[in-house]
Amino acid sequence: MTQLELRAEVRTITGKAVRRLRREGWIPAVLYGPETSSRPLQILAREAEEIIYRAGTSHLITLFIGDERPAPQVLIRGVQRDPIRRNLLHVDFYRVQMDKPITMEIPIVLVGSSPVLERREGILLQGKQTLEIECLPRDLIEAVEVDLSVLTEVDQQITVADLTLPPTIRVLDAPDEMVVRISPPEIVAEEEEVAAPEPAAAEPELIRRRKVVEEEEEE
Amino acid sequence: MLMPKRVKYRKQMRGRMKGRESRGTEVAFGEYGLQALEPAWITSRQIEAARRAIVRFVRRRGKYWIRIFPDKPVTAKPAETRMGKGKGAVDHWVAVVRPGRILFELAGLPEEQAREAMRLAANKLPIKCQFVTREKLVGE
Repeated sequence: MTQLELRAEVRTITGKAVRRLRREGWIPAVLYGPETSSRPLQILAREAEEIIYRAGTSHLITLFIGDERPAPQVLIRGVQRDPIRRNLLHVDFYRVQMDKPITMEIPIVLVGSSPVLERREGILLQGKQTLEIECLPRDLIEAVEVDLSVLTEVDQQITVADLTLPPTIRVLDAPDEMVVRISPPEIVAEEEEVAAPEPAAAEPELIRRRKVVEEEEEE
Repeated sequence: MLMPKRVKYRKQMRGRMKGRESRGTEVAFGEYGLQALEPAWITSRQIEAARRAIVRFVRRRGKYWIRIFPDKPVTAKPAETRMGKGKGAVDHWVAVVRPGRILFELAGLPEEQAREAMRLAANKLPIKCQFVTREKLVGE
């Protein structure tokens, strides 16, 4: 795992005034973690985008805050983006203690190709995008790779129990949870295309209190 | 067409569609999504038309998800009726959509084909939409 570094400054502007920071090219961030109080920070938007692109959510970053030393090791815990423009709004950094286990979600990456998919006999469904694990920060891996070439039939699946992880990592997700599955193609009934016009929308049933209904029945 | 099975009240007030959507703005089930860029009431007929456009194009190659549900009743008075005499009868059902909402999702087919399916679906809707892909989690 390559060492990534990021520079940050202590932020004094909070609340709605952070909009001004964003206009000036900064991104508001926060640093928190066990046995430390949370600290508002600000990072340069350009550097933040680059570090998020390179580190993802499962890579340790050395965060230099002003001139403070030693610099803490952090993980990106949360990234807020504008839902339409996708530009960065806020970043959460989680300070890790190198001697204490951390619980986090690491991404599941699909590799290889299934012969069923190549023959277009099935559709790949991914049930889980991330895997919840517990490990020491130094044992952290960036992602879990799932080899799709073992899926040779429709309706075959890979569960959490089938994943191979280093012995230093403990998986917290249930072993029978589905990670990927080859499902049969959805059969689109041709009749559906020329379905008979539906009857006029029937009124939905009213959810009413039992007391009212009983009173009406008595009458 | 989509509509609720049970409701607490038969008719509703119109409400406002201010601001952006804060939930349902990420691609959650599939790989690709169609995102609303304008606020609108999307009727169950429009949802059905867009769904059929996707199904016709995708056929058996992929899987789709509908991320909106028309749970708001819209009333209308009969034609040539004088004003008054109370609120009209329920005419149709709409989903209230604000900018940012993911309307449909797709999985199991290449991006170019997903783009085309979503373009066809967007043509059936009364608002501008954009094609989006799932957020990348792993670093380089």
